[in-house]
Amino acid sequence: MAESAVVEAANRTAATSAFEPRIVAFVCNWCTYAGADLTGTSRIRYATNVRVLRLPCTGRIDFMLILQAFGQGADGVMVSGCHPGDCHYTAGNFHARRRWIVFRELLDFLGVDVRRICFSWVSAAEGAKWADLVNQFVQEIRALGPYREFPRRLPQLKPAEVC
Amino acid sequence: MPRIGVFVCHCGENIAGTVDPAAVAEAAARFPGVVHSVHYTYMCSEPGQNLIKEAIREKRLTGVVVAACSPRMHEPTFRRACAEAGLNPYLCEMANLREHCSWVHEKVPATTQKAIDLVRIQVEKVKRNRPLYPIKVPVTKRAMVLGGGIAGIQAALDIANAGHKVILVEREPSIGGHMAQLSETFPTLDCSQCILTPRMVEVAQHPNITLYTYSELESLSGFVGNFKARIRKKARSIDEKLCTGCGVCMQKCPTKKIPSEFNAGLGMRPAIYVPFPQAVPNKPVIDRANCVFFQKGRCRVCEKFCPTKAIRFDQQDEIIEVDVGAVVVATGYTVKPTSFFPEYGYGECPDVITGLHFERLASASGPTGGVIRRPSDGRIPETVVFIACAGSRDPAKGISYCSKICCMYTAKHAMLYRHKVPQGRAYVFYMDIRAGGKMYEEFVRRAIEEDQVNYVRGRVARIYERDGRLVVCGVDTLLNGRPVELEADLVVLATAMVAHEDAETLAQKLKVSYDTDRFLSEAHPKLRPVEMNTAGIFVAGACQAPKDIPEAVAQASGAASKVAGLFSQDELTREPVVAVVNRAPPPIWSTCVGCFLCESACAYQAIEREEIRTRDGQLIKTVARVNPGLCQGCGTCVALCRSRSIDLQGFTNEQIFAEVLAL
Amino acid sequence: MQALQEQARKLLEDQTVKVVIGYAPGSDEERARALFVRTPQQAEQLIFDQRCRQNLATYLLKPEVKALGRPAVVAGVATLRTILQYAVENQLQDQAVVALAVDGNGQVTTLSTFSQIEEYLATCPRGLTPEQEQELARIEQMSREERWAFWSQQLSRCLKCYACRAACPLCYCARCITEVNQPQWIPVAADPFGNLEWNVVRAMHLAGRCVDCGSCREACPEDIPIDLLNRLLARETLTHFGAAPGYSLRREYALAVFRPDDKEDFIR
Repeated sequence: MAESAVVEAANRTAATSAFEPRIVAFVCNWCTYAGADLTGTSRIRYATNVRVLRLPCTGRIDFMLILQAFGQGADGVMVSGCHPGDCHYTAGNFHARRRWIVFRELLDFLGVDVRRICFSWVSAAEGAKWADLVNQFVQEIRALGPYREFPRRLPQLKPAEVC
Repeated sequence: MPRIGVFVCHCGENIAGTVDPAAVAEAAARFPGVVHSVHYTYMCSEPGQNLIKEAIREKRLTGVVVAACSPRMHEPTFRRACAEAGLNPYLCEMANLREHCSWVHEKVPATTQKAIDLVRIQVEKVKRNRPLYPIKVPVTKRAMVLGGGIAGIQAALDIANAGHKVILVEREPSIGGHMAQLSETFPTLDCSQCILTPRMVEVAQHPNITLYTYSELESLSGFVGNFKARIRKKARSIDEKLCTGCGVCMQKCPTKKIPSEFNAGLGMRPAIYVPFPQAVPNKPVIDRANCVFFQKGRCRVCEKFCPTKAIRFDQQDEIIEVDVGAVVVATGYTVKPTSFFPEYGYGECPDVITGLHFERLASASGPTGGVIRRPSDGRIPETVVFIACAGSRDPAKGISYCSKICCMYTAKHAMLYRHKVPQGRAYVFYMDIRAGGKMYEEFVRRAIEEDQVNYVRGRVARIYERDGRLVVCGVDTLLNGRPVELEADLVVLATAMVAHEDAETLAQKLKVSYDTDRFLSEAHPKLRPVEMNTAGIFVAGACQAPKDIPEAVAQASGAASKVAGLFSQDELTREPVVAVVNRAPPPIWSTCVGCFLCESACAYQAIEREEIRTRDGQLIKTVARVNPGLCQGCGTCVALCRSRSIDLQGFTNEQIFAEVLAL
Repeated sequence: MQALQEQARKLLEDQTVKVVIGYAPGSDEERARALFVRTPQQAEQLIFDQRCRQNLATYLLKPEVKALGRPAVVAGVATLRTILQYAVENQLQDQAVVALAVDGNGQVTTLSTFSQIEEYLATCPRGLTPEQEQELARIEQMSREERWAFWSQQLSRCLKCYACRAACPLCYCARCITEVNQPQWIPVAADPFGNLEWNVVRAMHLAGRCVDCGSCREACPEDIPIDLLNRLLARETLTHFGAAPGYSLRREYALAVFRPDDKEDFIR
């Protein structure tokens, strides 16, 4: 299934002349996911390129997930959670912040394009900010182009079907 | 083999207006593992839910994805429907096609494609979901209330009347708090002690309430339903069982000139004292810092004269350990002293006083018997200036908030002064008049119209002494900023209401959140005003934010009702979204290597150490274990664990990984 | 060297320890190998010179070595730091190991407790050497494209042999993340994605824990400069968070604690 999704995306890109970035967003349930819900309730429009994955807290976001997302063909990754001090679980976002500082340094040193990772704090009240952030980031990625140089995870190594 | 059912909702036109539900259902039908894929107008309606239940039964579904609105909206609804049909509720996920898709995009093919992707992601996750069962935790049906002011008293009475045991801990020698210090309360001008003391007596006599006064919380450990509190009962130096409250000791005590805390320093008390005549309990306390015996080893006069031989100089502090299921924090407030204001004399002028000082002057049982007198020379003031917003609403002084009660009590003070000194003149310097409660506006109007209190809109820049009077230099902004200079005999500052100095220490002991002003943080400012983010701990009264008595009482009753709700069951059911450290048969036991870096990271101290031993007690290894009663399910430990020995139920590594690979 | 042999012999004679883990000459003049000295007579085989680069602390957690009884281990700064980091991570009990600390002048100090090791390390210089700084700077000064080209080329030679993991004393997990197949975080094959993922994970898991012994670089059969990744993160965690793994007995893993005012400039 992952393979055909990659193929589908490639076909889409080939069909239209404009490149449509594929963005994955890892967000926390209590702030950014709720903020994105507010964007919806407020009917604010933004680009269709983002697929949001819900996690309980930014502290849960494993740095490997970001690499896996790029390995699946994502052109950009967003990681977003509660503002420092507001974490629903008190401290998850503080741990996440430290992890991101270290991870981003490492990726930059390796030559991975860290402009393609957008870290943010979006609260449950910031529906407008979420829309602005998505639109801005999609534009940035469109300018950077598809992330072709990043190695792809080979399709035959996808997880086995669960019985 | 997985048998997943996909249910795509139209939500009327909300989703169907922009997304093509039939196309989504059709694409989903081709996902591996999906055996049933339909679309319908309103999935959350009864016929919609029945579609799910029937499919679960007929197609023997092992998982359900409802592609509709946000899970924050209807996840409980659909999980309940699945449970009713016999499918574990945690085998149901939702794809957000409304808030995250149809409501924010145009009606273009890309939107329907996004909807299909979102459904596919959730299908891949739910295939890896495992059945989860709620965690049951026993509940100790005893509550602890910290603070014996009006909020604490109200909460304790409500919980006790609901049939549960309460322990009320108050650090002063008597309950009553600041309300006991007030002369009259707005807007009715009821005598404060008259309405308070019956409640205080009720607390003392209530069979369900155990009162610990002159006591403080030493430590609190545990979790909701299962707290262990250690209370330090400070030594009163008297045997409470023998003391009759006759008061002879207070009369005979040679040290009589200690500033009385209850009288805000305006009156004196002896070293052995009861704070005020209506104190509950009406038993004295020896102030060891000022008692001649404790400081110099002489005297013992009280012991000599006590008719029941109740004095105990060798009494020690006692630590009392109790099990409680819930805690209500009602520790109240304090006010900024006059020394906080360099522009008003650094607190060195005795005739510049705070609102609390004025209450004691006005009170019939106060140091002046209810006569308004200048603290410096005892004369009755002819002109009194009241300054509202002294410190509050002033970012330069570090207090940006409004203290809420000052406009009202300033009006009250001005009225009381005018009632007691009819020939006197009262001025109030104000910024705004905040009188939002019931009958509050009418009360302030009364002060202005009936009692002729002069309200001047402007701030006071300076106060200084001249020839025994106080020169007040202010401004009248309604007269274009014209300077106003008055000579007053007494100035009353409505100083800011602030949290106690040690509020932060208490909050850390309880592991609850607090803000930059040291007020305790409620769980949600609008919808959860009495709960805190720490489960099982509730808040009431001014320790949460400045408020008046009716609000404190309402909040206290609200907190009490939450406690009663908590105690309505013998067992507490918790969501099973908790972390679990893996276990395996011997010789592996667990892939956890016992580095305990997760223990350092857990904000709830939910990680414990488990020693795995042989039958004859030899230690094999020490591994981590999550306490399911404490774990809140944030997953920080999961992302931290190098060997992937810990995982979060409901958001496992497998499930999230599958979501990413489904892109 | 003589002082070291002398001390080792003494410890074995009075049975303070049952084995001394040290170095012996290797297969050529540039290599040394680990030696497990069990009898006082064998102690004269111990050497200590610039060939002795392997971090012998790796052996301290192996069940086969633990079965030999209480060991002494010949230790440079990195090995001492490893022992303290083991203490912080609950892998060693106090006084379970005797450290024979050897400094640049060949002087031997016997350290029996963790606090003694901590005190000794307080006297040692810490931080990156100028050569190490330069090595990092050379890469940091490249443009992003150049860096990516450099590392793609380097990592393409990775065989996924996991020698780096075997050599690193802080890679002691009973079941490594590479062995988890539900889900398969790190693809097994030596393909570009898998190699990148493995080396990133290794660096991240050692962030705030690496004691800069260089054993990983020594062990890599392709001589890929993977120690640069660890050294970069050691420098970053030190600068941003004050992390000094192995110098203190305080439990302060950089990624498990935080300060509310940790600074960054990239979060929107």
